[in-house]
Amino acid sequence: MTQENALKIFKSLSDMSRLRIVQSLTQGDMYTELLAERLELTPSTVSFHMKKLEEAGLVVSRKEQYYTVYSLNRELLETSLFDVASSETEQIDEQQKREESYRQKVINSFFKYGKLQSIPVQRKKKLICYEVIAENFIPGKVYSEKQLDEIISRIHEDYCTIRRDMIGEGILQRNGNKYVRLK
Amino acid sequence: MKDFIEYLTDQFEAGKNDIARLEADGRKDDADFAKVRTNIYDVCRTVTKALADRPDAGPEAVKAQLERFNKEWNAALDQAREHGDIRNTVIGEIKLEALKDVIAHFPEEEK
Repeated sequence: MTQENALKIFKSLSDMSRLRIVQSLTQGDMYTELLAERLELTPSTVSFHMKKLEEAGLVVSRKEQYYTVYSLNRELLETSLFDVASSETEQIDEQQKREESYRQKVINSFFKYGKLQSIPVQRKKKLICYEVIAENFIPGKVYSEKQLDEIISRIHEDYCTIRRDMIGEGILQRNGNKYVRLK
Repeated sequence: MKDFIEYLTDQFEAGKNDIARLEADGRKDDADFAKVRTNIYDVCRTVTKALADRPDAGPEAVKAQLERFNKEWNAALDQAREHGDIRNTVIGEIKLEALKDVIAHFPEEEK
């Protein structure tokens, strides 16, 4: 276990509602609606808490007809607190971690459900957004202008500006009216 | 509209108590959701105070604004559900539930 995983476990358990959910699950597997009734929470609030517990690896879910049934990951819960606390530090370059966190922050600010909300003014942020848009193109594949515009317009209405900028930044290459993703 | 503003104020104050209780219980995420709900009463109270007594607006304008919120928040909730965005689904449901309560308490003669 890494320290990052340990932190997720501690964070997810440092909430009384989630502790009560874990406590309820010690009595047996349960579905969302039953947990909601027992804990006097709405089913969607329970789902929100379950997602956090699942991300920490503390619970697992399975579909049974119309219901999502949750059970405890007993193996993880039986790990001693000593083992969790003495987990290893991940060898991730701090600078790389900061850059990734900044990138994610920009993406979260400018994209909503895959759509670009506005074109950033700052070049650094704009580049990050264009790199995300570029993920919609297969590197090396040749696209016509119409195909390219169709894909970009699904992400933002100003596809002409974005197309021009992406060429200018060397993300796309233009040969006549054919386009190729470079990076 | 005075009674309606009073109702919104009462709900806002009750919401603040809920937030404090949930925080004291160590239920930070639930407290954050209570803040969303409480904020709706505050927003509706601000809108009512701003529009109700204006000669060019009045109670009709308040009602129209509440209906606009309803439409916009329903659209946002649909989008959150469609994308499996659990956090925003919970927030959307809380906002609409509070708004439904606000609309239900809108003075009958103004409806």
